[in-house]
Amino acid sequence: MPTRDPRPLPSRSRATRREFLKRAGWTTAALTPLLAGSSPRRAFAQTASPYPDWMPPSPNPPKRGKLLTRASAWDPPVLDPRLTNSVGLSQFATLTSNRLVRYPYSDEAANTTDLTLKGDLAESWQGSPDFRVWTFKLRKGVKWHNVAPLNGRELVAADVKYCYEQYAKEGVQSFTFQEIEGIETPDKYTVRIHLKTPNTMFPQNLAEPVSIIFAREVLEEDGDLKKRLIGTGPYMIKENTRKVRVVLVRNPDYFDQGRPYIDEYHILSTPDAATRLAAFRSGQSDIHFVASLSDAANLKKTTPAAVIQEYKTVQTVFGLALAQDKPPFIDVRVRRAISMAIDRQRQVDTIYGGHGILGWGIPYFYFQDKMPTAAQLGPYWQYKPAEAKKLLTEAGHPNGFETTLFYYEYFPEMSSQVQVVQQDLKKNLNIEIKISKLDYTTFYGRYADGKWDGMAWGFKTGYATGLDEQTYQYMHSKSTKNYWRFADPVIDELVTKLRRTPDRAEQRALTKKVFEREHDQVTRMWMPYDSGFLVWQPFLRNTGSLALRRNDGYGASTLARLWIDK
Amino acid sequence: MAIATAPGRTFDEPVTDHVSRIRALWTVIKRKPLGMVSAGLIIILVLTAIFANVLAPYDPLAAQPEIRLAPPSWAHPFGTDDIGRDVLSRVIYGSRISLWVGLLAVGIGTCVGMIVGLVSGYWEGRLDLMLQRVMDALMTIPGLILALAIVSVLRPSTTNAMLAIAMVIIPGNSRVVRGAVLSAKQNRFVEAAQAIGCRDYRIIASHILPNVTAPILILASIWLGNAILIEASLSFLGVGTQPPTPSWGLMLSSTGRAFMEQAPWLAFFPGLAISLAVFGFNLFGDTLRDAWDPKLRRQG
Amino acid sequence: MYTYVARRLALSIPVLILSSLIVFGLMRVMPGDALTALMGESGNVSPKELEKLRRDLGLDLPYYKQYLIWAWQMLSLSPGDSIFTNEPISVALKKSIPVTVELAVLAMILGLVIAVPIGVISATRQDKPSDYAGRVAAITGLSLPDFWLGTLVITFAAIWFRWIPPLGYASLWTDPWTNLQQFLLPAAVLGFRLSAATMRMTRSTLLEVLREDYVRTAWAKGLGERIIIYKHALKNALIPVITLVGGQFGTLLAGTVIVETIFALPGMGRLTVEAILFRDYPIVQTNVMLVAVTLVTLNLLVDLTYAWLDPRIRYQ
Repeated sequence: MPTRDPRPLPSRSRATRREFLKRAGWTTAALTPLLAGSSPRRAFAQTASPYPDWMPPSPNPPKRGKLLTRASAWDPPVLDPRLTNSVGLSQFATLTSNRLVRYPYSDEAANTTDLTLKGDLAESWQGSPDFRVWTFKLRKGVKWHNVAPLNGRELVAADVKYCYEQYAKEGVQSFTFQEIEGIETPDKYTVRIHLKTPNTMFPQNLAEPVSIIFAREVLEEDGDLKKRLIGTGPYMIKENTRKVRVVLVRNPDYFDQGRPYIDEYHILSTPDAATRLAAFRSGQSDIHFVASLSDAANLKKTTPAAVIQEYKTVQTVFGLALAQDKPPFIDVRVRRAISMAIDRQRQVDTIYGGHGILGWGIPYFYFQDKMPTAAQLGPYWQYKPAEAKKLLTEAGHPNGFETTLFYYEYFPEMSSQVQVVQQDLKKNLNIEIKISKLDYTTFYGRYADGKWDGMAWGFKTGYATGLDEQTYQYMHSKSTKNYWRFADPVIDELVTKLRRTPDRAEQRALTKKVFEREHDQVTRMWMPYDSGFLVWQPFLRNTGSLALRRNDGYGASTLARLWIDK
Repeated sequence: MAIATAPGRTFDEPVTDHVSRIRALWTVIKRKPLGMVSAGLIIILVLTAIFANVLAPYDPLAAQPEIRLAPPSWAHPFGTDDIGRDVLSRVIYGSRISLWVGLLAVGIGTCVGMIVGLVSGYWEGRLDLMLQRVMDALMTIPGLILALAIVSVLRPSTTNAMLAIAMVIIPGNSRVVRGAVLSAKQNRFVEAAQAIGCRDYRIIASHILPNVTAPILILASIWLGNAILIEASLSFLGVGTQPPTPSWGLMLSSTGRAFMEQAPWLAFFPGLAISLAVFGFNLFGDTLRDAWDPKLRRQG
Repeated sequence: MYTYVARRLALSIPVLILSSLIVFGLMRVMPGDALTALMGESGNVSPKELEKLRRDLGLDLPYYKQYLIWAWQMLSLSPGDSIFTNEPISVALKKSIPVTVELAVLAMILGLVIAVPIGVISATRQDKPSDYAGRVAAITGLSLPDFWLGTLVITFAAIWFRWIPPLGYASLWTDPWTNLQQFLLPAAVLGFRLSAATMRMTRSTLLEVLREDYVRTAWAKGLGERIIIYKHALKNALIPVITLVGGQFGTLLAGTVIVETIFALPGMGRLTVEAILFRDYPIVQTNVMLVAVTLVTLNLLVDLTYAWLDPRIRYQ
């Protein structure tokens, strides 16, 4: 059971050096002066990890064939894309199906945050000057999978129209598609969409991984989309055995000639984390994910051949959600006090080994080039326990209060964070938190239901890539995806204006205003986060994982460009 | 599991004298080293639980994230956990939780089971039939599933885990008690007492209960160990004790497994504690059985 | 004999009815419901849609009606559909039962294979070192949580041997070699715990039997030790052991839950636990009833065997 490695780890990062010190068995006494003196609130720069965040595409010509397998944590809850946003479905639905537009694949992207819209089923598109009418020209000769009842017929505009109308009717996508007033199909290859209000970013919404184009015949024949998933994508479902595996086979008629490269992709249902790791080590799984730098270092030690890629962190998905539509959290002073009483820098330094980020909501590259520094996160973000106490007393709670917090442990570091926050709030504000650690379904149901009291370790959905999704869809007071339950008229105005602003520079300025307002009003209290690391078997090529689109999950469509060099 | 009652009538009045019972136990303990080990383990466990606040060097809830995942050292003999809490202190306090969970679950389960078994066995008839059918029905649901369902109903917490485990214990206990009561009733002394017209409660108190306490205590001892294990399994499934409670089961199933390779001490020490406690209780149950089971006392 | 059988059968029926009531009641009393869980992935389903779905699934009917509908489904052997996946439960069961049964049977076999010889050794060499070793091993088996043993096994198999059982369940009939590889480790983990209890039972009943008069007579007659143990003593000692094993079946099924999760086997245990967490009532109720019926039947068989072997019981 080798755990303490006598060889010093490469000291390229503060984090690994600290790991080494700990492993050398230094006592707390020795460590304390080292640490106590080392954290004045320095300007934030995320500790560099020894692993690259970008895998450039391979210069060699791709080899075809072979089998890709992955032990997956997620089972698809249902096959019906109208009923779920779950990554359990997207992990393969983005391979069986296409969208009208998409984001770059790993061998086309300029860098990890390249979000240039590219055509998927659409060849080109155009917005009207008032951004209320969007016209898409479809590719010709795109064929549905050659299985009954589609039998390889050509995709036409009417198919797209049907899909979007169905999405608008019911289900989880409906909020996005309900802004469509009407859809015209003047000819077989043209789709013209009329919106109720202007939206310059409408095409980005169509590029989200959940907006896949499904088959009308399947819905009409089966009455629902729960039994069959047929699309136009690079892979077809050969087998889908619940809780066992999903088998995808190459679609020989795929419109992107010559691709995909890999013949078969098997997704094996493996709910237990230790088992997934064991599967990777024994070669049964080709792709693995770890949440922290120390996990990655550990894996590298025991499996030196593994290729580790840092998954670029540009946003936080999780934070402290408060029932802020009612007291006590409806009072902005209470929220600000709580925010100032939590030492987030310490969470980054300790729990995430210096590698995590401080936490902000909207992906930073939508409003600035570099990651926000602690100072940029506003006065109420800073750790100022004395001021926090004063503010809370002002708000009428000099002796604190009691509340509850429920969460689901998405990864072990989250539990650590929750408990540290519990301690911070007790120590600084005398707020007593009773923690409830729930299973996934109970947690998700209760959180999304929006009727809970107290606090939750909440999230915004993990798939959102586009700016409109990240702002309007999540932050507008009337949106059904506003899980944080805040209603701020300033933000409402800003995000609506954002949709009508075509100019890039102006968009950035507006987005920055939204970001600042959010931190000023503490509408969403983002907590430190680490996007983690992807681990690949050494024979995989074109594995570059792009921000907001992880290859094993929502970004699976890029696996069509992956190949195996064996 | 059907338990056949002893056929025929005997004059073998089981030991009713408490003193001689304790003496029997003491003899067995002295003679069998495993008995001493188990008794010793239990005493250590109980003392640790009682004097936890004296024994524990640190506050089990005090998080110091700067020294998280530190291996065992002089300052922290069992190392520190994922937010820098001292594992030794948590294991020590964990004995309280485990003992508390065990005692409450087994206590309630045993008492209720005993009452049901007594009522069932002594008065028999339709009441017995009904009660036993309910007990049988409960027993058809696998223990962990039943506990999981009950905890889901009551919402996950330490107390509710205890109640759920108690529910799992009751049916089995009631059957054993019923069996023992039925067997005791066979005894001529009971027949005689009934003939004289002794009140039921006197008969129960003087003749039935003493016969029942032995199997109950043996079972209780073993269930104490099981209760700790079930609580750990419930924590593994995510519905047991809640953080930051220093319960061994939670420590083992969450942080222990999550950091198994980087920080094996997080799992090793709670795991060892669970194993020793369960080991002790099981062995003690064995010892009790060796000492008190009349069939085994006839040693050649 | 026949009245005994008839009586036991008659008593089983109310037990099953009570079991069904208990599990039905528990599922209905749980907070949160399947629909919130189903729709929870997204969160933006209008209350109207939720109501419609509830009506479609029959969840708006009064409880007693829901119970009767379900009871009828059970009796007519057509269990209906899962709320979550809309898949017929019978399909899900057909796929998951063989997995759990195979796991349970293999675990039992492995358990017995380990337990009986150790129990015999322990009993015949009572209080000697081999007895202690056996008892300590047995109790250790009882003291380790399943999930811990399973995790250890799978982690160190991967680290030391770079091998873990092949993922992606293969049925025994289509691919027996892969199947056996997949089941060996999990069955061993489960069997280890089972063997502990069985070993102790074997030891204690054998100890009792060895003191019986007829065994003493056999000793006195000068019969070899082996003949005494195997021909006379063991047979009688095994009766309560069989009872125990029958009783352990319930515990075994509970243990499969955890082992199936860790070793990624799509069995009934995992299905049931996830259904409870998802509040997928039909699956939980059906599965539990299935287990109940199996256990009741098993108990009945054990009792009947016991009664047949020991005439004294029949005439109670």
